[in-house]
Amino acid sequence: MAAFADLDLRASSDLKALRGMVETAAHLGYSVVAINHVVDFKEKKQEIEKPVVVSELFTTLPIVQGKSRPIKILTRLTIIVTDPSHCNVLRATSSRVRLYDIIAVFPKTEKLFHEHNQYFIILMERNTTNHPWIPGMLLVASFIKCKMIAVLKDFVSIKEVACTHLDVDLVCVTVTEKLPFYFKRPPVNVAIDRGLGFELVYSPAIKDSTIRRYTISNALNLMQICKGKNIIISSAAERPLEIRGPYDVANLGLLFGLSESDAKAAVSINCRAALLHGETRRTAFGIISTVKKPRPSEGDDDSLPACKKAKCEG
Amino acid sequence: MATLRGLLETPRHLLVCEKSNFGHGKSRHRQLVETHYHNYKVSFLIPECGLLSKELKNLVMEMGPYYFVKNLPLHELITPEFINTFVKKGSCYALTYNTNIDEDNAVALLPNGKLILSLDKDTYEETGLQGRPSQYSGRRIMKFIISIDLMDLSFNLDSKKYERICWCLKEKKPLKFDFLLAWHQTGAEESTMMEYFSKYQIQERQPKVAMSTLRSLQCPVLQSSTLRGEPEASCGGPELFDWLGAVFCDVDLNNEPNSFISTYCCPQPSTVVAKAFLCTVTGFILPEKIHVLLEQLCHYFDEPKLAPWVTLSVQGFADSPVSWRENEHGFWKGGEHLYNFVIFNNLDYWLQMAVGANDDCPP
Repeated sequence: MAAFADLDLRASSDLKALRGMVETAAHLGYSVVAINHVVDFKEKKQEIEKPVVVSELFTTLPIVQGKSRPIKILTRLTIIVTDPSHCNVLRATSSRVRLYDIIAVFPKTEKLFHEHNQYFIILMERNTTNHPWIPGMLLVASFIKCKMIAVLKDFVSIKEVACTHLDVDLVCVTVTEKLPFYFKRPPVNVAIDRGLGFELVYSPAIKDSTIRRYTISNALNLMQICKGKNIIISSAAERPLEIRGPYDVANLGLLFGLSESDAKAAVSINCRAALLHGETRRTAFGIISTVKKPRPSEGDDDSLPACKKAKCEG
Repeated sequence: MATLRGLLETPRHLLVCEKSNFGHGKSRHRQLVETHYHNYKVSFLIPECGLLSKELKNLVMEMGPYYFVKNLPLHELITPEFINTFVKKGSCYALTYNTNIDEDNAVALLPNGKLILSLDKDTYEETGLQGRPSQYSGRRIMKFIISIDLMDLSFNLDSKKYERICWCLKEKKPLKFDFLLAWHQTGAEESTMMEYFSKYQIQERQPKVAMSTLRSLQCPVLQSSTLRGEPEASCGGPELFDWLGAVFCDVDLNNEPNSFISTYCCPQPSTVVAKAFLCTVTGFILPEKIHVLLEQLCHYFDEPKLAPWVTLSVQGFADSPVSWRENEHGFWKGGEHLYNFVIFNNLDYWLQMAVGANDDCPP
């Protein structure tokens, strides 16, 4: 079994409140927490901020209750997408995005929810004539189960399709309002195969009874399609009082339609899977990772530039 | 609808009740007490008793020291010196402390020389020892059990198997845990745990004892011959078990309408007992000491007493990897494994063994 994790503690500018939340989570028995920075691109010109530095938050990490180890704090970024252009920030290998351990996306429309789960390929540009390698391209596409967006009959003007696959670890499911769309099984299955997790939050349900109904009905809809696989339940807590203990959250999973073992896995094993997915995202196929080597101080260097130095050594 | 039906079910739990007599040749009481290795809490309840007798009091106070070691590397438990000094000369028990069995790794040493490691998937793959997946894994196997027989190893220390185990635990993946240790020695005392582990921070601890006298307690009426109970005449085993739990939790047994905490009421038929003595010992308690306590409680009825029966309950550690013998124990929503003796004045006894969800049936 894996250790219990709460992957969504809302970051705020108030460090003291954040500290209180992490201490409460450690007291309740969570071994891993992730501090979530939410970015909404609907407002104009939102910049992705730098994640909270853990050493600033705590000099000594609080010990998890019932164990002798301190709690592990990770950082997470959630992007609320309402428009396909918002996804571009994930495609660009911006250094800001790479600073976070887990990336999550909160799609607001059906198109974005279903389609981002699949691979797209960049098709040809417009105004191309019959290229001989078009059939080959189609064959490759069918192999890797891609979805072609639009292939016009005369191969002349093929629409340029945006984006690559979205490189995220979690997909958030809305709980505060009635689901604007129904889930479709094929894209959800592709997402599960890719290792994406679907996240449900429970702290809005604590605050309001109407939201409670929406949470449960949205969760039951999701369970019918995905059969309880790859589900994560987390608090979107902004205050320490909104966090609940891991076994209580596992019992809450029963209300959402999960079986007993799936509900306990939603707080432990699936969270571990999402963390590992986040780690491998930064590596090449999960096998090779790069670490930035610290540059030697200037005093050691000769005045020779680096390329010439390599020639001398070689 | 399936969700609603699922919500009505409680997690699986088992209660095994049996009755016998202490004088009976084939009585299993000794074997069951001695194979329940890791005991956390021992409580006994004597109705119609205000003060404890001297023998019982001495026994309770001498439930033995146990030891707590911080950050003990696991390879220390497989060294030949440890095996020869402690495991072979008596019964040595060890259990990791502050580890949750459903979340992290746990290790237990049984008196028959078996070292049981209950590891999560990552640690198991890094350690590289041969083990089997846990019985309670489900679809995805996340927990593995490794069983190392120390007695077997100590006979051939040069074998490849021993070298590999040493290498895995010392160099490949050195594991360190906080341990609770206890040792019941047979034979002359040659060395103690305090001296052996003096390099590490070892502390000797005494079990905590809590005694109280309960006044005007409602007790169910029991007849030793009818385990199931007869309506209007006596109560059955499961009803007694529930009642005992309520008494230990200090719950009112009146079913008062304005009580927020409990609506439990004492099973009928019941009598009111003027006073009852309840004693609880908490710590890492040896089964041998529990057996001595059980015999002493049987001797309680050597002289005629008002009490019709006495009870002795023993609870195991929720995070122990084994329950009885080497039956695997897990923590689902609760990790209880406990047993309860009801001793009657004619030396008949009822034995009730209870386990939770991720457990085998008690023997």
